[in-house]
Amino acid sequence: MSGTVSIITADGRNIVGTLKGFDQTINLILDDSHERVYSSSQGVEQVVLGLYIIRGDNVAVIGELDEELDSRLDLHNIRAEPLNPIINY
Amino acid sequence: MPTSTPSQGGDSGGAGKERRKKESILDLSKYLDKAIRVKFSGGREATGVLKGYDPLLNLVLDTTIEYLRDPDDPYRLTEDTRPLGLVVCRGTAIVLICPLDGTESIPNPFVQQDA
Amino acid sequence: MLPLSLLRTAQNHPMLVELKNGETYNGHLVSCDNWMNINLRDVICTSRDGDKFWRMPECYIRGSTIKYLRIPDEVIDMVKEEVSSKGRGRGDIKGRGGAQRGRGGMPGRGKETLEKLLLRLPVGWME
Repeated sequence: MSGTVSIITADGRNIVGTLKGFDQTINLILDDSHERVYSSSQGVEQVVLGLYIIRGDNVAVIGELDEELDSRLDLHNIRAEPLNPIINY
Repeated sequence: MPTSTPSQGGDSGGAGKERRKKESILDLSKYLDKAIRVKFSGGREATGVLKGYDPLLNLVLDTTIEYLRDPDDPYRLTEDTRPLGLVVCRGTAIVLICPLDGTESIPNPFVQQDA
Repeated sequence: MLPLSLLRTAQNHPMLVELKNGETYNGHLVSCDNWMNINLRDVICTSRDGDKFWRMPECYIRGSTIKYLRIPDEVIDMVKEEVSSKGRGRGDIKGRGGAQRGRGGMPGRGKETLEKLLLRLPVGWME
C-alpha cells in the first residue's frame, strides 16, 4: 500500500496516483492522482485530479508503477491513440 | 407491492422512532404526491407524481411523461415528450431520483478555464 | 483505508461524481450507504457532452451507476483521525489480514494432518 499505481479504467482512461485503500469490490482510493491523456497529435497531457474514489466496476487494469522507470519517460514526446472504452454502457 | 407501502412512509415519518441502520438513506415519503424526475440505466428519463414505492426502490408514478431521446444518441434528450400515465418503475433500473420542484436548466455555471 | 470509510468521512463536503452514463454531478454529500448509494444537495448536473447544465436542490444516485468520485484532498486526513480513534474497534479488519495469512498456511496444516495420519498408521500398512 501507499505505492504509486497506474489504473486503466473501463472507459479507457489512464489514472496514476498513490493507492491509499481498496475493498473487496476493488473500489480504490487514489491520492494525488492525475490522468494521463494520450493523443496521436501531441504529447501526453497530465490533468491533476487529486483525491479520487474509483468504483471497482470501472477498473480494468491496476499496475504498480516503477517510479524510477516512469520518471525517465519523456511524456512530451510520447504519441499514442487514446484507448477505447472496453465496455459499452 | 409498491402501491401497498405508504405505511413504510409512515414509519419513517415517525420522528420518535430511532432509525435502524438497515433503513434506506433515501426517504421517499417526502416525495409522495409530488412530482419527481427519474433517470434509468440505458438513458431513459421520466417525470411523474410519486404514488408509491417499496424498499427495493420500485416506484409507482402517475401522470408520467417520458422525455424522448435523440435516435442517434440514447443519452441526448430532445424537446419531445410522450405521456405514459400510470407506470411502475423497476427499482434496479433506476439511476437517479430528484424532485422536479427546484430542478431547472441553467447556463454554464462553471468558470471557463480557457477564458 | 476503505473507500467507503473515506466516502462516509466526506459527508457534508463538496464532491464531483461521474456516472457510467457520462453525466457529472457536483454537490455536497448528505449521506451514503454500504452500496455507495448517495444523497447530494445543492447539485449541478452536467450532461455527458458538457453542454447542458441543471441545478437541482437534491438528488439520490444509485451506487452501482457511479464511475468515480472526486473528493477534496483534505478529507483523507480526516479519515486517519477517525480511523485511529476507532482503531481498536477496527481490530477485526486487521484480523482479516491475519486470516489471509492463515489461508496461506492451510495447505501446510493439511500436510501436517497427513503426516500425523501416516505416523498413526500401523507399521507395514503398505503391504
